[in-house]
Parts: sequence; structure tokens; C-alpha cells
Amino acid sequence: MSGPAELHPLVQFVFQLGVLIVLTRVGGYWLRRWFRLPGVLGELIVGMLIGPYALGRFAWPGLGHLFGLAPGGGAVTPELHAVATFASIVLLFLSGLETDLSAFLRYSVVGTVVGIGGVVFSFYLGAGCAIWFGLASGWLDPTALFLGAIATATSVGISARILSERRKMASPEGVTILAAAVFDDVLGIIVLAIVVGMVRAAGDGQGIAWADILLIAGKAFGFWIGATAIGLLLARRFSRILKYFQSPEAIAALALGCALLLAGLSEMVGLAMIIGAYIMGLSLSRTDLVQVIQKEVEGLHNVLVPVFFATMGMMVDFGAVQAVLKVGVVYSLLAVASKVLGCGLPALFCGFNRHGAVRVGVGMLPRGEVALIVAGIGLTSGAIGQDVFGIAILMTLVTTLLGPMLLAGSFENPASGLRKPEDAAKTESKEIVLSFPSPDMADFMRARIVRAFRQEEFYVYRLAPDTPTYHIRKDEMFFTLECEGDTVVLRVTAQYEALARLVVVEEMLALRSMLHMAQENVNIETMEHELVAGLFSDDGEDGP
Amino acid sequence: MNLKKPLTAETISLDLKGDSKDAILAEMVDLLVASGHIRDREAVLKAVLEREKRMSTGMQNGIAIPHGKTDSVDCLVAALGIKRGGVDFGALDGQPSNIFVMTVSPDSRTGPHIQFLAEISRPLNDAAVRAKLLAATSPDEVLHLLIG
Repeated sequence: MSGPAELHPLVQFVFQLGVLIVLTRVGGYWLRRWFRLPGVLGELIVGMLIGPYALGRFAWPGLGHLFGLAPGGGAVTPELHAVATFASIVLLFLSGLETDLSAFLRYSVVGTVVGIGGVVFSFYLGAGCAIWFGLASGWLDPTALFLGAIATATSVGISARILSERRKMASPEGVTILAAAVFDDVLGIIVLAIVVGMVRAAGDGQGIAWADILLIAGKAFGFWIGATAIGLLLARRFSRILKYFQSPEAIAALALGCALLLAGLSEMVGLAMIIGAYIMGLSLSRTDLVQVIQKEVEGLHNVLVPVFFATMGMMVDFGAVQAVLKVGVVYSLLAVASKVLGCGLPALFCGFNRHGAVRVGVGMLPRGEVALIVAGIGLTSGAIGQDVFGIAILMTLVTTLLGPMLLAGSFENPASGLRKPEDAAKTESKEIVLSFPSPDMADFMRARIVRAFRQEEFYVYRLAPDTPTYHIRKDEMFFTLECEGDTVVLRVTAQYEALARLVVVEEMLALRSMLHMAQENVNIETMEHELVAGLFSDDGEDGP
Repeated sequence: MNLKKPLTAETISLDLKGDSKDAILAEMVDLLVASGHIRDREAVLKAVLEREKRMSTGMQNGIAIPHGKTDSVDCLVAALGIKRGGVDFGALDGQPSNIFVMTVSPDSRTGPHIQFLAEISRPLNDAAVRAKLLAATSPDEVLHLLIG
């Protein structure tokens, strides 16, 4: 099939982008609304359907082969690939920004052990699968390394939604899953850094000797640790410089610009671009600019990231996948088993019983953005072929589909997930439900409670831009706050219920004081009158 | 958080003299002055009284947790007082209050305030601890019971 010669490349790119933005939004919305499935699935499926290996073969009326194969034979045009790369940088920059590093360093040992278990098992079984099925000649083969790396990173957002719906976010399982996912992210990025370094070092086709591995791993790890340490050390000074520009837009743009620079630098030293972007986000995560940058960059993220997922979907060559479908199914099953065992077994030794261990394991199951980014890097660098890329996409689809279902199912049995009943009583989830006369008032109180916890030096962050759920953390304390309509719900463990109640009661008292003052203050009425006086008078004499 | 730092033997009284809520609060603020971190005693008392005006901090089982925020303190300060026989503090259960934990922290700085109150009061949920506290003969015994 010939390339899309009908349109000027730039015009074709604009149309492609427009179509992708519209279709991914609609596809993601339908899947969420009708099937209650993660939007990322819809975005991937849209890409697979309109991509060059499916409907892209056909011409669009008046536009020609809009999504046909690119002139060089690639699945996507260089322009679209550039946008997808930029999207992955934005995604990882925000991901780093959302990482609570101090909590990560301090947080329960359980989360760390579970995270390491998941990463080790996933890498071993992922890479092993490539070797056992003849896709790779050994553990140092790029295909094995990439299939290992792709399998490591959990996409916790999907599990977090299920935990929130089941009101289990503050449960021991929920807290462990979220903590382990932070570790998993950081470790996954380090694994990627090492894998990319090794694959590039072996790029001359000569392979790589075991002796060189330490050097490469050391270099990758060194860059990671060095850049992160420098970033964290300079973060406050850097944030002071950013604040000099005052406007939130300028601050966010400068931070993103620096993330791109560090991404470029990390590519130059032989690592993946997303590593630099992640480090930049991580460095800024300890400054007070997090919310400002998040808010400003989120718009860009919301538009671009679905395009990234769809672009990854477009790269799936069904013909190539067909040949290795069996391996793909086995790889997907191993990806499931590796997290269930890799995270579940350590959980068993950290105070959880069989129920709890299974919940932790299946909660760590979904793979998403990082797996796709790693697969994309592997494909575009030539380290893996279309067939292996297809396997990775299949695994992402399977784990993203299975994860939420299994996690929801694992909570059907209300039995405690802890071995010691007294621990279960301490960590029993309690709800503080506050009903207000209107959604506006509920939202106001939600904001007050968030502020109150921040004043107590808790780390509070919103789970996702489109979810009114907040995580509130400090040391081993973990609460979730949700605002739905006119109701605010604070979920806590029994152990810290008193603290949560006391914080909330202070805010309720402040609200009562404010209402009382507002009723007594006649100035408010005068101000109201002054604001509307003369608004609609013809002569404008009374106007402002 | 480190509970030992704000609560010391100097800021513990095993025999509060006041017979009214206001007198007890004033006495507790005087205990806080002993911490050496208070710049303006009156401002601290005012902050605590204003908080009490909104709603009594008298809880159940004789426990009261008066507190307030003002920039007249350099850091979180805390005191513990015991009133033999109790005093009417307008408590939730209508019973006299006899164990008082007071905290005051800076208004314009972030840091644990409610968290301190919640943590220091947690052992007081236990009736046995309350009984031992009321029978304590020295501030060190109180510290040992609450902080270990």
C-alpha cells in the first residue's frame, strides 16, 4: 500500500491529530460510561482500529489514506511520533511530580518489600518468557530485556479507582498497594534506564558481555541517582527562581521546559528521555510549586496523553502479532502471575493473610502508560520488532482488563486481609460522612479540610484531575477524602479516627463562625447592592 | 511526631487549684509560660478562650483538650493538668472534667497541632490509664504513662 500522498504532510498531521483527539476522547468516554472500563483501553483500541494495520488501509473521503503507513514504512508519521514522544515526557514529568518522595522513603517497609517483589518477579518472568519461547537467545538479548522491563511497572491509577469505589483506599491492602506502586515506579524507571543503556551499548550487533553490564548499570543508576540528588538539592533554589516570574503559567512553562532539557540530556547520555522528565518532576515534587505546575500542565496532559495511547495502538501490526499470539497469551498470563506472586508472597510475610496477599497482588496487576512507553522506545529504537511490540500491547490490554475485575472480586469476601485480628481492628476502615445543604458548601468544606490537613503538614494530593478523591498522608497515617454532590466523605483507619474527627470538627466550627459573621455583617448586603447598582440603568448614572 | 518534646515535667500540674473553667484555663496557660516559648501570655489565653467560645473542648470521661493558635508562641507548646474532683467544663457528657491537655501552636506556621492533641490523648481512651493518671504522684509518672 502506498503512503498517504494526497495531503501535504503538515495538513495530514493536523487532521490526524484532530481525529485522534476527538476519537480517543469519545472512545474513552464510552468505555468508561458504558462498560466502566479504564479510558486508556478505549484510547488504545481507537488507535488499533484506525491505525494502518486495520481501518487505516482504507481512504478517508476527501482526505485520502489519513492513517496509512508512513512514507518510510513506519506505522505512524514522524510528526505524530514526535507528539507521542512529547506526550510521554509530559506524562512522566507529571508522574514524577506526583511522587511523594519523603513518604516513599519513610513509608511502610511492607510497600517497599512488595514493590521490589513485584519488579523482580515481573522482570524475571517477562524476560524468561522471551527466552523460553525462542524470541530471545539469552538474558542479555534486547527482546528479553525489553519484555522484562515492560512487565515491571504497575499503573496504579486503575487499582486506585477500584479501591476508592469499594471504599478500601485506607485499608491495609489499599495503603500497601499505593505505597508499593511508588516504589515500583521508581524501580521500573531504573530498570528501563539500565535496559536502554545495555541495548544501546549492544547496538552494534556484537552483543554485550556480562563484564560490561555492571558498567552500564552503574552508569544508568549513577545518572539516575546523581541527577535526582542534584535535582532534590537544587529544588528549593530552583523553585525560588521560578517564583520570581510570579505567574503560574510562566512557572509551569519554565518547569516543563527544564523537564524537556533534562529529557534531552538523559537521551544524550544514552538513557531514555522519559527518565530525565521523571527526575525533573521528582525533584520538584518536594517544593510548594507542585500544585501550581500540576494545575497548569494538566490541560496539556489531558489533550496529549490519549493521543499517545492511541498512537501506541496504531503501531500494533495484527499480522505480526498473529504469528506470536500464543507467546502473547502466555506473556500476559505470566505478567498476571508475576505480580500476584511477586507482590502477594512478600505481603504474606508482612502481616497479611491469604485474602490480603491476593488483594495486594491483583491490585498491582494493571500495566499501563510506563509499559507502553517502554514498548514504544523498544520498537522505535529497533530493539524489538512488531511482533514483540504487539505482545506488549496485548499484555497491557489483558492486565488492564483483568486487574480491576480481580481486585473488585477479591473484596467480595469481607474477611480481613490481616493475620492478626487485633491489627485488623486497628486498621478497620471508618467513614466520616458529612452532608451539607448544597454541593457548593460541600466543596467549600472539602477545600477547608484539605487545607487543614496541609496545615498539619500532611501530604494531600488529588488522585486524578477528573476524580474528586484526595489522598492524605503522613508517616503511617493515610486517609482518603471524597466529595460527591452535597456529601463529603473522609475514610480513615480506626486507629486515626480521633485525629480525623478533631480536624473536621475544627473546620466545622470555623464554618459556623463564618456563617455567623456573614449574617451579622451588614456590609455584605451593602457590597452586594453596590456591585449590581446601575448594571441595567439606561443613563448609567448609578453605574460603577 | 515526638510527643516528649513539648510536654515536660515543668508543664505538668497534678493539682490544679481553679474552681471554674476560666480559672483552669488561666492556670494551664501559666503552665505553658513555664515552657519559655510564650511571648504574650494574654494573647495565648485569648486564643484558647476564643476557641472555647465556639464549642467546649470538654470531651467524655473527664478529659478536656483546650487549644488555640496564635503567633505569640514560637513553636507548639503543651501542658497537662489534673484537677482533683473535677470542674464543670461544659463537657459533652455533662460530667465534670479532671484531666486537661492544652496545646497552643503558631497560627502562621504549618505543623502538627490537632495531631499532637489526638496522639497525646489516645492513651486516655483507656480507663485504666485514666485511673493511673489521676493517682499519679509525680509529673514523671504522668510522662511515663502517656509517652512511655
